[in-house]
Amino acid sequence: MNFKRTFSVTAVLLLIGAAGLFAQDNRALDLMKQAHLNLYYAGDDGIAEVKMTIVNSKGKERQREFAMLRLDLEDGGRQDYYTYFRQPSDVSRLTFMVHKMPDASDNRWLYVPSVDLVKRISADDKNSSFVGSDFTYEDVSGRHWSEDNHKLLREDTYNGRPVYVVESIPKESYKGFARKVTIIDKEYILPVREEYYDKKDKLERVFTVEKIESIDGIQTPTLRKIENVQKNQYTTVEFTNIDYNVNVKENVFTERFLKNPPREFIK
Amino acid sequence: MKKFLTEFSINHPWLVIVGMVLVTVFFAAQLPNIKIDTDPENMLEADEPARVFDHQVKEEFSLYDFIAVGVVDEKGAFNKQLLTDVYRIMEEVAEIDGVIADDILAPSMVEDIKQTDGVLTVKTLLAEEPKSDEEARYILGRIKDNPILRGKLASDDGKAIAMFIPIESKNMSHRIAGEIQEIIDRHSHGEQYFIAGLPVAEDSFGAEMFKQMAVSAPLAGLIIFLLMLLFFRNFKIVLAPMIVAVVSVIWAMGLLIFTGHTVHIMSSMIPIFLIPIAVLNSIHIISEFHDRYQKHKHKKTTIRNTISELFIPILFTTITTIVGFLSLALTPIPPVRVFGIFVAFGILVAWFLSVTFNPAFAVLMSDKTLRNFGKTEDERGPLSRIMHFFRDFNRRYYKGVIFGAGVVVVIAAVGLSLIVVNDNPVKWFKQNHPLRVADRILNQHLAGTYMNYLVFDGHDEDAMKNPEVLHYIENMQRHLEKNRIVGATTGVTDIVKKIRYELYNADPAKFALPDNQDEVAQDLFLFEISGGNPDDLFKFITEDYAKANLWVQLKEGDNQSVVSVVDAAKNYLAENPPPVAIDVNWAGLPYVNVVWQEKMVGGMRSALLSSFAVVFIMMIFLFRSVLLGFISMLPLSITIMAIYGAIGFIGKPYDMPVAVLSSLTLGLSIDFAIHFIKRTKYIHERTGDFKQTYPEIFEGLARAISRNVLVIAIGFVPMFFSSLVPYITVGSFFFAIMMVSGAVTMLLLPSIFIMMRKRLLPDATVVKDNVVENVAKS
Repeated sequence: MNFKRTFSVTAVLLLIGAAGLFAQDNRALDLMKQAHLNLYYAGDDGIAEVKMTIVNSKGKERQREFAMLRLDLEDGGRQDYYTYFRQPSDVSRLTFMVHKMPDASDNRWLYVPSVDLVKRISADDKNSSFVGSDFTYEDVSGRHWSEDNHKLLREDTYNGRPVYVVESIPKESYKGFARKVTIIDKEYILPVREEYYDKKDKLERVFTVEKIESIDGIQTPTLRKIENVQKNQYTTVEFTNIDYNVNVKENVFTERFLKNPPREFIK
Repeated sequence: MKKFLTEFSINHPWLVIVGMVLVTVFFAAQLPNIKIDTDPENMLEADEPARVFDHQVKEEFSLYDFIAVGVVDEKGAFNKQLLTDVYRIMEEVAEIDGVIADDILAPSMVEDIKQTDGVLTVKTLLAEEPKSDEEARYILGRIKDNPILRGKLASDDGKAIAMFIPIESKNMSHRIAGEIQEIIDRHSHGEQYFIAGLPVAEDSFGAEMFKQMAVSAPLAGLIIFLLMLLFFRNFKIVLAPMIVAVVSVIWAMGLLIFTGHTVHIMSSMIPIFLIPIAVLNSIHIISEFHDRYQKHKHKKTTIRNTISELFIPILFTTITTIVGFLSLALTPIPPVRVFGIFVAFGILVAWFLSVTFNPAFAVLMSDKTLRNFGKTEDERGPLSRIMHFFRDFNRRYYKGVIFGAGVVVVIAAVGLSLIVVNDNPVKWFKQNHPLRVADRILNQHLAGTYMNYLVFDGHDEDAMKNPEVLHYIENMQRHLEKNRIVGATTGVTDIVKKIRYELYNADPAKFALPDNQDEVAQDLFLFEISGGNPDDLFKFITEDYAKANLWVQLKEGDNQSVVSVVDAAKNYLAENPPPVAIDVNWAGLPYVNVVWQEKMVGGMRSALLSSFAVVFIMMIFLFRSVLLGFISMLPLSITIMAIYGAIGFIGKPYDMPVAVLSSLTLGLSIDFAIHFIKRTKYIHERTGDFKQTYPEIFEGLARAISRNVLVIAIGFVPMFFSSLVPYITVGSFFFAIMMVSGAVTMLLLPSIFIMMRKRLLPDATVVKDNVVENVAKS
């Protein structure tokens, strides 16, 4: 009798708890999805000049400058990128194109001007470095929210602004991280800080948004930084001349334009 | 002074003993603070340019010292099972504390650049456990097709798989090697794995050395004790020199630690050097005491007379030995300086104790204990019979002995010219030691476990993107690879060529450096944009492309071999001026070893020469005769020549221990000559007649010398069986020094005295007959 009662009380409590957890999970998932769309799918397309600074543990800097053109074919889904390198000068005119596929490996092409050659490059490893920086390809194009289990840890304030704190754990064991904590600005629903923890649950990388500007009414992080705290090195990217909804056509993202950049967008 | 010290000790024995105990307690209390330093790199000053440059290069290119691990299967190592084992082993090795996981070179840890169906890929060579033998063989093919990996991860015949494991600090390598071995043991299926590399050899040597020390020094002490017991048959009396030896070791080591010095490979040898030297003086004293006691039957008188006769010879042998070791303070090698200074201090302590503690100790002994001391029939004992043989032999063949000595010198000179200066820390272990075996096998199969770096500094940004510079580096690579021991060279040149080759769909014609600077830059950019790890690239070139780092993998770590490669680079530079101003310099452990070795050899030479000069001057002063001074230097000169000549003939390389031992040889060999000449003169002052003097030399004096020879020589015999080569060397040296200098002293000096008796020991001397002894008695 006693046992039965204890059992049923426990069962009820567990159910309530699970429901609460479930509800919170849904909320976390929604937040992560919205934040992803706000960060990676702003507008229908976009263009920007990007200045990337890679700083190694000895404090030595390397610069990269490129123009970046983006077209979203489906929000949260298929997306095309076109990158035209300006600096360092010995790689200027080198172009790079990505067709981001939601459920498959991306397609990537590269044009090498010195030998006038277009080469496809493999995208098997999303966790590899993007042009030698601390950003991975995944950091640049985003990790789909459905790949992780999310949990809303708490609501908090960060840099004086109210935020959500969400924890994400990959559904399948993943080389990139074992656990991620994302701080999402409540007002903009934009990730402002991400902490990546390794297998040993040691902090490995920290992504931060250093500056947000409103461009065409869209809240846009214009200065981003990623720091590898274990290697003691970081990379910053600064976006300028940002323009949204410039009406770029899908045919720009083809091999033909690799050799001859679309002059209406890239001067 | 000699009267004061002895009288004080005889009259206040307890004061002397209590004082000694108190000081000893103070120094013994320092011993637990011992700080050990097993890094041979510390043989160089911290600001030594070669060492500073090496650190700078390691910092600049994020390089670490490697532990090399290999597995060999004669039937072919690239099969599913073995490669799976290696995969799993490396998963765990990457987790070891102190291992730089990101920089491990192993099939499952490196990136491979390849193109398949027109798609260029940079991805982990062995991303997951192989599913089949075919896949394993495919991995071998990829390694052979990649100049960056070839010879490093596999032997071309596929019989060996290798892994290079970078570690944070050399000092961790012994521990990490142990942990790697433990992981291997859990995963392997009976195949032979080998662990090698300079850091492991150096660090393991340090670890093993301290174990050896804990055995060798006490064991030598024990045997010396037993031998003295055999000679003097009195436990209590023999205890005295042992106490002197142990106490001087404690004082020396205590002071060393108290003054904040670390105990380095060299200073760990202080006890083993001090024990025999400390015992030497005491043996002379006891020996003399032993021979006299039955004559006087009076303790204090015997002590007074003994000390009185021996004070000057003992003082001088002590000073000469101290000079020998202090000369090490002139070497440019800090641990050798510390070693020399503290051994010298220990010798001084031993001397002080043997003229204070020894008499004090003897006075406290009951007459009962001493009743039978010295009663053994020494004049007819086996030692005496041997000495009498020497006596008669010399009398008959003194000309032959002198001639023979001349012949030995000539032959030794030939041997000296054959001496080869060489060293390799791996060879500090015996031939069959696992590290030696690993070294041999891995270097036989692979491009080498010894990593040197040749750094090209073009000063200006992008200097290394210049195709002319890259061609120059490539030609240097081909030039160096002609050297037998260069297994492989790897540079940014190879990365550029490999990318270009893959970019052009594996067209062998494109496996070459481009002639256009933009193409070089874009090839390298291609590596980074394809997802190649930039850290891998910057092990070969700096971020500003001003400097390039050529990895030169050597199959041998012998200094001689390393020097031949260094010289090859030097010659190439001299004959082929670089297209732009480039500084070319070496870094890497094998190279640093060469640098300190050269300093060691040069430093030792000047240390030996300067102490030789100082001792010579001291001898002239001591004997008040240039001629006698010259004669006294003969035994040590012949001993040094004979021993080092023998080293030349045997072909044993002149390495660190051999170099350090020259000062020991000098310090010890002169002792017998001093005792011999000084005491022969005493005897002659008494007898005034060479006919009486000559036979007496072969009684007490000869017995003391021969007892010394036997006690020290045999005391070091156990070191012959050490597992570490430098210990065998040290043990053999002690044995050889004692035997050779003892023999030379007892053969050559009497023969010279016979030949030059009119000049050296003229009969006309006024007979002082027993004056000394009478004074002492009253």
